[in-house]
Amino acid sequence: MKKWFWPVLLLTALAFVLAGCGGQQAQNAAPAKDITLVYAQGSDPRGLDPAYVDDGESAKVIVNVFEGLVRYKPDSTEVEPCLATEWTSSPDGKEWTFKLRRGVKFHDGTDFNAEAVKFSVERQLPPNRTDDMPYASFTFGPVQKVEVVDQYTVKFILNEPYAPFLANMAMALAAPIVSPAAVQKYGKDFIEHPVGTGPFKFVKWDKGQQIELARNDNYWGDKPAAAKVFFKFTKENSVRASQLKTGEVDMMDGVDPNDVKMLEQSGLKLIKNPGMNINYVGFLCHKPPFNNVKMRQAVSYAINRQNLVDYLYQGLADLANGPLPKFMPGYAADLKPIGYDPEKAKALLKEAGYKGEKITILAYSNPRPYNPVGGEKLAAAIQQDLLKVGINCDIKTYPWKEYKDVLFKAQEGHMFLYGWIGDNGDPDNFLSLFDSKEIAGSLNAAKYSNPQVDKLLAEGRKTMDPAKRAQIYHDLQKIVLEEAPWVYISHSLDMAAYRPNVVNFNLHPTGVVFLRGVSKN
Amino acid sequence: MASYIARRLLLLFPVLLGVSIFVFVVLHLFTTDPAALMLGQHATTQQIEALREELGLNDPLYVQFGRFLWQVLHGDLGRSLMTRAPVTDEIMSRFPATIELAFMAMLIATIAGVFVGVLSAVKQYSIFDYLSMVGALVGVSMPIFWLGLMLILLFSVQLGWLPVAGRIDIGMEPARITGLYLLDSLLTGNWAAFVSALKHLILPALALASYSMAIIARMTRSTMLEVIRQDYVRTARAKGLVESLVIYRHALRNALIPVVTVVGLQMGSLLGGAVLTETVFSWPGIGSLLVNAILAADYPLVQGSVILIATIFVVVNLLVDLLYAFLDPRIRYS
Repeated sequence: MKKWFWPVLLLTALAFVLAGCGGQQAQNAAPAKDITLVYAQGSDPRGLDPAYVDDGESAKVIVNVFEGLVRYKPDSTEVEPCLATEWTSSPDGKEWTFKLRRGVKFHDGTDFNAEAVKFSVERQLPPNRTDDMPYASFTFGPVQKVEVVDQYTVKFILNEPYAPFLANMAMALAAPIVSPAAVQKYGKDFIEHPVGTGPFKFVKWDKGQQIELARNDNYWGDKPAAAKVFFKFTKENSVRASQLKTGEVDMMDGVDPNDVKMLEQSGLKLIKNPGMNINYVGFLCHKPPFNNVKMRQAVSYAINRQNLVDYLYQGLADLANGPLPKFMPGYAADLKPIGYDPEKAKALLKEAGYKGEKITILAYSNPRPYNPVGGEKLAAAIQQDLLKVGINCDIKTYPWKEYKDVLFKAQEGHMFLYGWIGDNGDPDNFLSLFDSKEIAGSLNAAKYSNPQVDKLLAEGRKTMDPAKRAQIYHDLQKIVLEEAPWVYISHSLDMAAYRPNVVNFNLHPTGVVFLRGVSKN
Repeated sequence: MASYIARRLLLLFPVLLGVSIFVFVVLHLFTTDPAALMLGQHATTQQIEALREELGLNDPLYVQFGRFLWQVLHGDLGRSLMTRAPVTDEIMSRFPATIELAFMAMLIATIAGVFVGVLSAVKQYSIFDYLSMVGALVGVSMPIFWLGLMLILLFSVQLGWLPVAGRIDIGMEPARITGLYLLDSLLTGNWAAFVSALKHLILPALALASYSMAIIARMTRSTMLEVIRQDYVRTARAKGLVESLVIYRHALRNALIPVVTVVGLQMGSLLGGAVLTETVFSWPGIGSLLVNAILAADYPLVQGSVILIATIFVVVNLLVDLLYAFLDPRIRYS
């Protein structure tokens, strides 16, 4: 015992001391001009093949390695050219022809051309499509086939006219163009060996730790400022915030509301952007009492939305002015939903013949991205508001897993809490939730049906002219704001934090981060 | 001896079977539907149903279990639903991190625990004895999660001595030989990587060691108290041996057997994935892998990890039993 005990203790102590000295050396060693960016997120991506994943953690890495034919503008979900330089759609809206950028190469040296586009899309079309491609049918739903016109021209033929198609082509998932050679080479393992045309090349993935990307020196656009980018995975929000504070990471997302003050006081920069989501209360419009529009309006007048947003979300959400967040095309700035007016609510209840029947609010038990405080708190706050105008409610709560099923069957309850996270930044993506066709597909949880709305939606999908489309969606929103199938509560904010020496960093409204322009002093 | 080991190893099979049945049933009865999780918000009921069919989730439980067992017997733990990578790859890529953390924690816990325990026993009812036993009580009762966060706040954020989380500074990973960063960096002579890995290891190892250290200290103290009152210790003193020799050579060796048992049991659970510690410190080991897998309802990955953990537990216990014979010549296995 004695023989080994002291040497081991001494060695351990020595190691601690040496560890203490090594730190400065490591920090000084970083060369000044080759910038390395470290971005901290909550967990590993599910995978890096855009065809097989649907989670935000994957999307953040994917958008820096891959590109689509078009991309979103930096601060909105309007699209601009990317791998395609220009495009036209046929007058009937069924054919889209894209002119491709010349001289672009994938990271593995494969040429980017019309064949590559065809390959990327066709692996997600029937009969190649498999059940575990979460976004294939959404993104390429109306696509019948892809034709190579010439080496740098590709034509998509759709089953029906579909204006949101262009926005779909900018999405982080499903739409990015992959290197056909690499997919063939890696097969199933492409999901861990992504090869695209983006500003950064994939280097390696240390599971549970980080993903390393390196600058693509052959990038067709402005070369990225950073030579290396690391996506680091730290599960705990507060631990991630500590890493940012000590400088172990440069940027982070998933800021815990409790850490906001600490981060700001530490001199770190905070981003609070409106998120591409909507948190709403829906009425089951297919059955009494809410098949009566006056009842829906009465409850809408009775709910103090501003109050909810101020006290429930405490600055973490914006009041919703309708179904669409402000940055989305189609947002109707001049329209407002029904405001808070308890007296008017009481009058409408009387008109509707409400006799004090009990109303049941269905709620999910857990927090959701659009409702960070969870369903129970929101439902309880609404219950209080409704009590003030004489509506007696009870709340029925389900775990999320069962909740969707309960809503779809719609056998119980009268009102429900729900929300939507946008996919592609196209207004149709949000407004389709009012489409009576979607009652069967379960997206229209309110079971709201209005032929005029259906007609406008169909028209909107066919209309390629942005101004005309905006008018159609304006008319549509006017109807749904008046008819009130939903009470429009809030858009929760996307938050990120970064160190003051980081330049040009922003969260995109779709929740991803484009690091090509980000630099560091 | 050999037949004893063989018998113990054979016992491994019923244990593993029991564990896998238990995990299988719990997973399938109480967790989210992985098909719904994989398909996201656009999934229609029909799509989810189709994927469930494809994944074989609609078959009766015993059929699914039989299929799973058949695969395992062929050395195939399946593919992760989350990442689609083979489960064995996922586990093997994470296992070295857990080994490294567990061994470091055990080293700290054993050295400090035995040292404190012996000293407390020798100086029974002294200030040191009282303080260290209060410390041990705190160590046993303090939630690791909280302790971890406090260590980070003090040593990383306030003092800036040690890194917050992770296994090594970014870009400094040593060339992979064993996957154990400390060992690999020494083997490749990469001193900077060694220092970085060690600095990252200290806080999580301390947090993880706290509980075991306290248990070991208490156990050592009580067995030492028994042993030093025995006749042969008095004899050793009477024949004029130096006190330290009496304590360390004569008393401690005999007091060690229960301590080794505790160390072994602790080692088993430490290797089995220090779930909380790994989560707090973003330590890329089995524990954090298991947490993520459970959250994603990744059945194959959870099953694979749990089977590995159970195996380790059983094997470590066997090793502990064998160690008795080495420490106490009176113990023989046949």
